Amino acid sequence: MPQDMPPVGGYAQVQYKRNIPTRGFQPWVYMAGMHLIMIWGTYKYMQGTREQRELAREKMWARMYLTPLLQAEEDRDQVRRHFANQAREVELLGSEQKIYNSDRFVPATITYTPPMTAASKAWYQFW
Amino acid sequence: MAAREPRFNQEVLVDTTPMPDHIPKVQELGATSAPLFSAAYFIGERCKAYNDDFMKCKDEGNGRGELDCLKEGRKVTRCAASVIKDINTHCLSQFKAHWECLENNNHYLFECRRPEMDLNKCVFDKLGLKKEIPGSPEGQVPVHLRPKQKYAIYPGPQY
Repeated sequence: MPQDMPPVGGYAQVQYKRNIPTRGFQPWVYMAGMHLIMIWGTYKYMQGTREQRELAREKMWARMYLTPLLQAEEDRDQVRRHFANQAREVELLGSEQKIYNSDRFVPATITYTPPMTAASKAWYQFW
Repeated sequence: MAAREPRFNQEVLVDTTPMPDHIPKVQELGATSAPLFSAAYFIGERCKAYNDDFMKCKDEGNGRGELDCLKEGRKVTRCAASVIKDINTHCLSQFKAHWECLENNNHYLFECRRPEMDLNKCVFDKLGLKKEIPGSPEGQVPVHLRPKQKYAIYPGPQY
């Protein structure tokens, strides 16, 4: 029995290549577009950062202009309490007690509380 | 202690003893944060010498600045009070519009450029005080004069 042979004229060509049309732009165009978008975004971001920096500068200078004023007010209040404490000390102990070995100004850490009234004592006992 | 009277009860323990008589009295400013913030640049402009003097005194006070710089502190407060008084006398409506705007906008200056322009103009015309931000970059419009504020809710020109 004769062996099978190819048909006369050979086999037909096998279709292995994809046969679809190329569409869209060339790849480098997409790459370039992406970079352009990123550059634009970075630019806007930088502009925003600069504006934020200027706004922060504006706010900080406003606060710096107010600082001496607020500090002066607070200092006066602390000094007033300091003098009140000293007067209370003299009244209760007879003389002013120097507890720090320096003449720096040290605000009192212990608050003077008013003597309890009958009403407040009743309130606390109730609770 | 601001203009508000100190209270003294079982919950708010504030010593009410007044300042001794040998220290001159001064009327505290009593303005809240928004008016102070609104007027800060004008206070800074007019009271620069007093402010610097006070801060220098505190700096050199070596821990006794609170006691030794009371005089400078009174000058600072009186000067700031004079600015607030002048603004109230001459530009009350603009001032009020601006600080109420600040109050309603989380103290964001960039939301209140329109009232700020009116206030700055009025204060410059009547009192001669100009808002200038030290250290802002040269060759650029200062941020408080730019019509468009990038971070404001309204994106268009503010005035």
